[in-house]
Amino acid sequence: MLSWKSCSDDPMNTRIVHLLAGMSLHGDQHLAEVERDLVQMDVLLNEAVKKLCTSFMAIHQAIDLQQEALRSLLPGGMPEPGQAARLDALREEIGRHVGAAVTGLQFQDMTSQLIGRMVQHLAGLRDVFGVLGTSEPADLPESGSDEMLAMLNRLSDQIGARGDERAGATARSTVNQRHMESGGIELF
Amino acid sequence: MTKTILAVDDSGSLRQMLSFSLKAAGYGVIEAIDGEDGLNKAKRQTVDLVLTDQNMPGMDGLSLIRALRAMKNYQNVPILMLTTESGDDIKAMGRAAGANGWLVKPFDPARLTEVVKKLIG
Repeated sequence: MLSWKSCSDDPMNTRIVHLLAGMSLHGDQHLAEVERDLVQMDVLLNEAVKKLCTSFMAIHQAIDLQQEALRSLLPGGMPEPGQAARLDALREEIGRHVGAAVTGLQFQDMTSQLIGRMVQHLAGLRDVFGVLGTSEPADLPESGSDEMLAMLNRLSDQIGARGDERAGATARSTVNQRHMESGGIELF
Repeated sequence: MTKTILAVDDSGSLRQMLSFSLKAAGYGVIEAIDGEDGLNKAKRQTVDLVLTDQNMPGMDGLSLIRALRAMKNYQNVPILMLTTESGDDIKAMGRAAGANGWLVKPFDPARLTEVVKKLIG
């Protein structure tokens, strides 16, 4: 890999190669950092949502047990009709809240899918930068626009080929949902 | 007898939520982390219903459905897709592969169990 440093006395071709190599080096470094942060973000989100899910489930189960305990405290273990209706209403209300939480917590699944997609595209960009950094000054004549054109065409072809390879690989789909409300259901 | 559902999704938290919702409704749940794992588990034990994601590493949901439908004991087992995707083209592919229904994420536990109940009781 060439360094970004170039001097003003270099012939034009060499300076172009230095420019491409510099773009390649620094572009790749920035993209690697972004990729690492995205992957770390995904890990943290996953961990947080797992813990939230476990807590929600435990709360739900504890409330069920609490309701059973309350019933057993009532005289004869049987609530009066009014009390029974109140307990049932509370159970339904808790169920609705837990359901809404379970629906909302699925944001992690969607953001994880989006992060996976971003990482795939970053890898595509890193491929492009990798190709730009493959030319060495020794490959080039010190002057001559035809040779420079040939080199640029070769790079362009390589970038195109890498892009086609990546497009051929299974790409994750994007996520279009904009609200955390439950999605549609269709039975065939 | 408890009905068993195979829940296939590469997201651990989603499997956790599916399992919680379906178990609370009285179903048994077997979890699988992708299509290949799902297929292996389906071979070991015939389940009453399959719920699968589409986008997973390795074998995706559509490939899993095709593989299951090619097995004699899965020709009549209900299979539901549960995915973020909602395009008509992919739904048509799902239907052609042998899916019985299409659920778009995020799911609501009450609505999900309603659909499952409708299909397997």
